[in-house]
Amino acid sequence: MSEDGLAQRAREIAAEAVGAVARAAAPEELERLRVTYLGSRSELMAMPRAFRTLAGAEERRVLGQAFNAARTAIEAALDQRARELERSRLADLAETEAIDVTFPGIEPRIGRLHVLTRVQREIETVMERLGYHVEVGPEVETDWYNFEALNLPPGHAVRDMQDTFFFTSSEDLLLRTHTSPMQIRAMERLQPPIYVIVPGRTYRRDASDASHSPQFMQVEALAVDEGLTVGDLKGTVMAFAEGVWGAERRIRFRPNFFPYTEPSFEFDVSCGVCAGRGCRTCAGTGWLETGGCGMVHPNVLRNGGVDPERYTGFAWGLGIERIAMLRYGIDDLRLFYENDLRFLEQF
Amino acid sequence: MRVSYEWLTDLAGVRDVTPTQVAEVLTMAGFPVDEVRPIDLSGLQVGRVLSQRPHPASRHPLWVHEVDLGDHVRSIVAGAANAVPGSLVAVALPGTTVPDGTVVRDARIAGIPAQGMMCSERELLVSDDHGGIMLLDGGKPGQALEEVLPFDAWLDVEVTPNRPDCLSHLGLARELAAGLGRRLERPFMPAFVDGIEPPGTELIAVEIEAPDLCARYIGAPITGVRVGPSPRWLRRRLFAAGVRPINNVVDVTNYVALEYGQPLHAFDLTRIRGRRIVVRRARPGEELLCLDGQLRRLDSEMLVIADAEAPIAIAGLIGGEESAVSEATTDVLLEAANFDGVSVRATSRALRLRTEASTRFEKGLSPELAQAGARRAAALLAQLAHGRVHLNWADRYPRPQDPVRVRFRPEQVDALLGVHVSLQEMESALRRLDFQVQIQDDGSWDLLPPVYRLDIHIPADVAEEVGRLYGYDKVPATLPGNRRFSWVAPLPSQERRLDGLRHVLAGAGFTEAVTLALVSGALLDRLGVAERAMRVLNPVSDEQDTMRTTLLPSLLQVAALNANRGRPAVSVFEVGRVYLRRADRPQPDEPVRLGALRTGLGSAEAGRTAFLELKGALERALDALVPLQVAYQRDAATLFHPGRCARVVVAGRPVGYLGELHPAVLRDFDLDGRAVGVELDLEPVLALDVPRRACPLPRFPAVHRDLAVVVAEEVEAATLEETIRGAGGELLESALAFDEYRGSQVPEGKKSIAFTMTFRSPERTLTDAEVDARLERLRRVLADRHGATFRA
Ligand SMILES: [Zn+2]
Repeated sequence: MSEDGLAQRAREIAAEAVGAVARAAAPEELERLRVTYLGSRSELMAMPRAFRTLAGAEERRVLGQAFNAARTAIEAALDQRARELERSRLADLAETEAIDVTFPGIEPRIGRLHVLTRVQREIETVMERLGYHVEVGPEVETDWYNFEALNLPPGHAVRDMQDTFFFTSSEDLLLRTHTSPMQIRAMERLQPPIYVIVPGRTYRRDASDASHSPQFMQVEALAVDEGLTVGDLKGTVMAFAEGVWGAERRIRFRPNFFPYTEPSFEFDVSCGVCAGRGCRTCAGTGWLETGGCGMVHPNVLRNGGVDPERYTGFAWGLGIERIAMLRYGIDDLRLFYENDLRFLEQF
Repeated sequence: MRVSYEWLTDLAGVRDVTPTQVAEVLTMAGFPVDEVRPIDLSGLQVGRVLSQRPHPASRHPLWVHEVDLGDHVRSIVAGAANAVPGSLVAVALPGTTVPDGTVVRDARIAGIPAQGMMCSERELLVSDDHGGIMLLDGGKPGQALEEVLPFDAWLDVEVTPNRPDCLSHLGLARELAAGLGRRLERPFMPAFVDGIEPPGTELIAVEIEAPDLCARYIGAPITGVRVGPSPRWLRRRLFAAGVRPINNVVDVTNYVALEYGQPLHAFDLTRIRGRRIVVRRARPGEELLCLDGQLRRLDSEMLVIADAEAPIAIAGLIGGEESAVSEATTDVLLEAANFDGVSVRATSRALRLRTEASTRFEKGLSPELAQAGARRAAALLAQLAHGRVHLNWADRYPRPQDPVRVRFRPEQVDALLGVHVSLQEMESALRRLDFQVQIQDDGSWDLLPPVYRLDIHIPADVAEEVGRLYGYDKVPATLPGNRRFSWVAPLPSQERRLDGLRHVLAGAGFTEAVTLALVSGALLDRLGVAERAMRVLNPVSDEQDTMRTTLLPSLLQVAALNANRGRPAVSVFEVGRVYLRRADRPQPDEPVRLGALRTGLGSAEAGRTAFLELKGALERALDALVPLQVAYQRDAATLFHPGRCARVVVAGRPVGYLGELHPAVLRDFDLDGRAVGVELDLEPVLALDVPRRACPLPRFPAVHRDLAVVVAEEVEAATLEETIRGAGGELLESALAFDEYRGSQVPEGKKSIAFTMTFRSPERTLTDAEVDARLERLRRVLADRHGATFRA
C-alpha cells in the first residue's frame, strides 16, 4: 500500500474506532475495543512495521504523524468514554447497589462487664476525684477488726444488728459483716491525713430473698484529719451523691446509731423517680434510704492508733447493690449473683 | 416497736399534731417510723339497743335487735346475746369498712332485715376479743363514734439498740415533746403510793447470790388483788402496742413495760415456797416449766429467780408456770429487777427464746428504772385490781448505778458539728432531754444525763444530742478545709488495673459474672477441690457452707443455670477471690483469680479450636496487665480433661491451668457438649514489674516462608518452635505454628505442623538466596533433632 493509502487507512481506522468507542455501553466493551484497535495485533499497531519499507524520511514523517494522530484520537476517545461510563455508573448507584438499610445489624461477639463492677467503679471514680484512694482488705476477718475495735464489745446486743458467719477452724474468725474493719487497718497502715475508699464483699447471715443476700457489696469512705466536722461529712456525702446521681439531688441526714461513730446518721437521697414529691419507689416519702455515716468514735480512732485529741474522722458507707437497684430499677437482689446472661446483657 | 399514737400524745401532753407529724418528728430525732396506720372510726355511730329477741327462723342462735340511731331505728341481727336492751353499741351501717377491714353489707337473714352491724372489740381494733358486742360507757344515739372513742393510730417505730429507754411510750413521748420544742412535764420517778402494814420485807425475803448478773431486785408484795379483766382504755393501749390483754395483773406488768421500758413480772406470792426469793445461777440438772408450756433445761451460766427450793423464773426472760398469776390469785409479788444484758442475751441465745423482756434487758437498762417501774405498777394494781401495796419493799441493790458527769466546753460541740450553736439553744436542747446542766466558772459545762440514759459518756455523745435537736439540716455542708492529699493516691487501684483484663475478655466475647464466695462444701468435696477449704460454722444452707477454693465450679453453675433457661452455650469470666486456709495463721489467703469458661462446644475439633481461642484471649488479657511471655506445659489437673490441659507459666512461675473441662465434671453440672476454661492466680502477674517499651518500626522489608514439618505425634509445637528459634539465627524475626494436619498426605502416627516464619535484617533487604540457605539449615536441624520430614 502506498504511503497515502496507509495514512488514509490510519485516519479511517481512527474514525471507525472513535465511533465504536462512543457507542460502547460498558467498561468491558471499552477494554475489548482497546485490544481491537490498539492491541499489539491490531491493524493500526502493525503500521509502524510498514514504515520501515518506506524510503523517504519525509514520507516516514507524514505517515508517522498520521499514525500518532490516529492512536491519540482512539486513546482520547477511550478515556473519555471510560469517564462517561464511570460517571453514569456512579449516578445510578442509588438503584443498582441499594441494600435494605433497615435490616438488623450483625452484633459483634463481645461480652460485658458485670453491672456491679460498673457501679462500683463509678463510685470509686467520684471519690478518687475528691482525693480518696482505694484500699482493700481481707473478707475473712478477726473478731477484733470486725467488732471489738469498732466499739462492739463481745456479748453485747449491738452485735445482733449484724448476724455473723463464723468458721469451724477458729472461734476468732468470721466473715466481715461490713467493710468497716478496713477503718482500723487503714489507720494502722497509713498516717493521717487519711482519705480512703474501701469497696468489697461483705456477709450477713440472712436468708436469700428479693432484698436480702448473705453476701453483698459495700463501699465505705474514711477520712481522718485535723478539724473534720459533721459539716465536712455532710458536704462529702453531698459531693458524692451529686457525682453519682447528678446535681439536682438533695440529701438528708437522720440521726441514727452505729457503735463506731458518734454522732451517727442515716443519709437519704431525694427520690429521682418523683423528684421528692413521693411515689412508689420511695414509699411516698420522697426520700430513698441510701447509707449510714458518722464521725468516727474516739475509741475507734484510738484502736487504729490515731490520737483522738488531735484528729477527728468521718466515715460513710452504703450497699453497692442498692445503688444499682435504684439506678436501673432492679427489684430483686438475687439477680446480681444468679448471672442469668439475659440479665447481665442489659448493662 | 409498735406505738399507740393516742398513748404517746397523751403522755407527751400534745394534742395538736397528726400521726404523720409525729412520725416526721420521731424520724428526724433518730427513731424512724416505718409505717403509720390510722384507726379510722369515721362513719361509725353510737346506737342504743331498744329491744332484743331471738331470731324466729334461723337454725343458728341469732338475735334480732331494734337499735336507735337518734334519727331512726334499724333492725340489726347479731350472733352474740350481750347487747341487751339499753346497751350503747358501736354501729356500722351498710357500706362502711370497719377498722379490722370488715365491709358491712345490707342483707336479710332468713327473712329478717339486717341493716348494719354492731361491732365487737376486735372489729374496732380495741382488742382481740370477738366474743361479744362491744358495749360503750357513754354517748348518745346517733353520735359519731369518734367523739366517744379517742382517735388512735399505730406507728411502727425503729429504736436503735443504744436507746432501750425509748423502747417505751414515755421515752418516745419525751423525744416527741423535745422535738417539738417542748419539755415533758411528767417526772421520771413516780411518787410512792401509801403502803400498809405489815411491811413487804416481812412478806418476802430477797437474796442476790449473783450480784455480778443482777444489779438490783425489787420484790413488792401486793395483797388482796382481784384478778379480772382490765378496763377498756388499758386493753386498747396494750392491743395497739401489739400485746394481747390477759387479766388486770398481767396487763399492768405489760403496760408498765411498754410505758417505762422496764420489764416486770408478777408471781403468785402464795406459790413462792419459803417466802424467799433467791437470785442465783441455775444448778446442774435444774429445769423449769415455763409460762409458754415448754420445759427448759437450765445450765450454770443461766441466771434464775428461785424460791427456797427451785427456780421459778429465768431471769429477764420468762416466768414459770407454777408460780404464775391465775384467776384465783389474791396475793402478788411484783418483780422489778435489773439483769445483766450480756447474760440475758447469752441465755436467750442458748435457749433460742426471745421475749419482750429479754429484748429490753439485753440492751442494758438502768437499775433506777426498776424502781420507777415498780412504783408505777403498784399504783396501777391498787387502782385497777384493788391491790393493797405494802410498806418497805424488799429492795436489794448491790451495785448502785454510777453517776455520770460529762465535762466539756461548748466550743467542742461546735467544732465537731461544724456549726455554731448558741449557748441558750444548746442548754435548752439538753434540758428538754432531761439533762442537768451546770455551767462552771471557767466556761466549761458539767452535764448530768438523766439516770435512764446509759449511752452518754463523752463530749461526742453530747454533740449528738445537741445536733439532733438543733437540726442537722441547719449544719452547712462543707468539704474538709485543711486537707492534704495522702500520698498513696496517685497509684491506680488493683481493681482499676484489672479492668484492662476485664475489657479484653469482654472484647473476646466473655461476659463478666459475679458469683457468691460461699459455695456448697459437698460440691467441692465431690469435685476433689476441697483442700484448704474454710468451712462455715453456722451456714444458712448446705448450698452456702464453705468458702470457695476455686472459681471454675461457680462458673460451671452459671453455665448450668443458663443452660436450664435455654442458653446452652455461654462465655463467662470472673475476677474474684478464693479463700485458702493457711497452716501458720488463722486468716486464710485470699488471692485474686481469673476464671473463664466457654461451654456448649459440639465436637472434639470445636473443643480444640475453642482451647486455642481462649489461649489467645488469655494472652491478650494478661498483656493488658503486664507485657509478658506466657508459656504452656502439658499437665493434668483436677477438673480438666487429661489430654487437653496446660499449665500456664508466667515469668517462670506456674500460675494456673488452661484446658478443656473433664467430661465427668461437665456431667456433674448436667452440661451438654464440651467446654474450655482457665483459672489462674493474678497476683503474681500483677506483682511483675515489666516496663512497656516501644520498638522502632523496621526499616527493611521482611521475607516470609512457610514450612510444613512432619513429625511423630508426640512432638509438640512448642518444642519445634524452640528448635526453629534456636536454629533460625538472628535474622529469624518470628516463627508461629498455624496449622496442624493429619491424613492421607502424612504417614500413620505422624502429623504435619505448618509454621510461618518471618526473616528480616535491621540493616538491609534480604535476598531470597540468603533466606533459602537459612531455611535449608533449619530443615537439617529439624530432621536431626526431631526426625522431621517436610511437606511441599
Ligand atoms: Zn419517689
